[in-house]
Amino acid sequence: MLPQIRTEFRKLTTIRSPWLLLAAGPLIVVAGVTGLAVSGASVHDPAVQSRAMAHVGLAAVVTLIFGILAVGGEYRHGTITDTFLSFPGRRAVIAAKLAVYGLVGAAAGLVSSAAALIATAAWWAAKGGTFHLSASGTWLTLAGGVAANCAFAVIGVGLGALIRNVTGAVALALAWIALIEGIAGQLVGSGLARWLPFYASEALDRSSAPAATQLLPQWGGGLVLIGYAAVFAAAGVLVTLRRDVT
Amino acid sequence: MAEIEVRGLTKTFGAVTAVRDVSFTAPAGQVTGFLGPNGSGKTTTLRVALGLIRPTAGEALIGGVPYRRLAQPRRRVGALLEASGFHPGRRARDHLAVLAASCSIPGGRVDEVLDLVDLASSADRRVRGFSLGMRQRLGLAAALLGDPQVLLLDEPANGLDPAGIAWLRGLLRTLADEGRTVVVASHVLSEVAQTADHVVIVNAGELRFAGPLHELGGSAALESAFLRLTAVPG
Repeated sequence: MLPQIRTEFRKLTTIRSPWLLLAAGPLIVVAGVTGLAVSGASVHDPAVQSRAMAHVGLAAVVTLIFGILAVGGEYRHGTITDTFLSFPGRRAVIAAKLAVYGLVGAAAGLVSSAAALIATAAWWAAKGGTFHLSASGTWLTLAGGVAANCAFAVIGVGLGALIRNVTGAVALALAWIALIEGIAGQLVGSGLARWLPFYASEALDRSSAPAATQLLPQWGGGLVLIGYAAVFAAAGVLVTLRRDVT
Repeated sequence: MAEIEVRGLTKTFGAVTAVRDVSFTAPAGQVTGFLGPNGSGKTTTLRVALGLIRPTAGEALIGGVPYRRLAQPRRRVGALLEASGFHPGRRARDHLAVLAASCSIPGGRVDEVLDLVDLASSADRRVRGFSLGMRQRLGLAAALLGDPQVLLLDEPANGLDPAGIAWLRGLLRTLADEGRTVVVASHVLSEVAQTADHVVIVNAGELRFAGPLHELGGSAALESAFLRLTAVPG
């Protein structure tokens, strides 16, 4: 294993905070599925089952913050100095973080998927519905959700490298999700809005979207999100190469 | 020989010139005291030498090579830059284990340096609970981890108690006597006067003196020489 990658794993396994953060993902999924089940949605409707699975994609907000901490957290605690003393080649450091955090983000998506399956099966059984594991929407939705968890971890690494201030980067990311993208979407109209990152992720993880918005097909949302991940990753590398570490 | 050479170094941050055309050599086998008031450019110079800051002009070489081109830099150069570079939730031993993993140093070396800086009994505590002096010792352990020939230490006595300062003085002497290049940046003159063989003095980003301590009149005269050299003209 490359020493940069080995070191990133070692950093992650010697602190608790990233794992406590990632644990929020499956918790969000279970809470979301529970909310759907108790709100009176029909447990006989395959579309509702798919909506339950789509909570996995919503949990990607957690891997986004996890990714932001990869570089932003190192600036916050001053450990970035030691990292660059070990590896003066900064490109490889950021590349290793992108790979490791993307991988862990995908793994978090798998755990959230398991949580979604278990919670949905349990609630559907409790409500007397039939849970169709083989329904085509189930696996497509879960696969899209895992991909979104991976992509947003990568976007987070890039964003954290661009904006070293963790608080600022997290605040911007949350404001974008909660507010800015919705407003921007209305301003540019649904034809263009579907190319924005969270509209694209709604297409990818097949979560419910505002009725007025025409989303891209799932594969299209995936490609757009890969594009955003690549842009943020490249920008994060470029900025890191030029920056003085003071 | 792994001496440090700074040649014509200039660094500007926006409109501020932090270092202006500074040149000096820190010879191997000696303790070089790098002196100057706060904000005189010492830390910027050290960070350029370590490849963390890109110089506007000039260069800093370690054993004839810029830091960025050293293979396994942590095994050639040890650095102590500030006491805050720790994740508060990480145990002291794990902090060193991460660094050891980054440069393929065997894990046994971690326990050696923990013993060396007298932190073995606190090794499994999280850094959150460490005093400034303990953080400083952990930073020194990190600098020594790769058994490097060159040590660049920024205010290493910061936060140490009198016994710790005496211990540090002996450690620096031993390291230099083993043939290593030891650079100690400080504004605590009394500390440097007792340890340094060689002195570099900067003020307002400019070099004021570089040479053996005895050229300034030895330890006893260091303070008056320093105040004369760093006095604001006029």
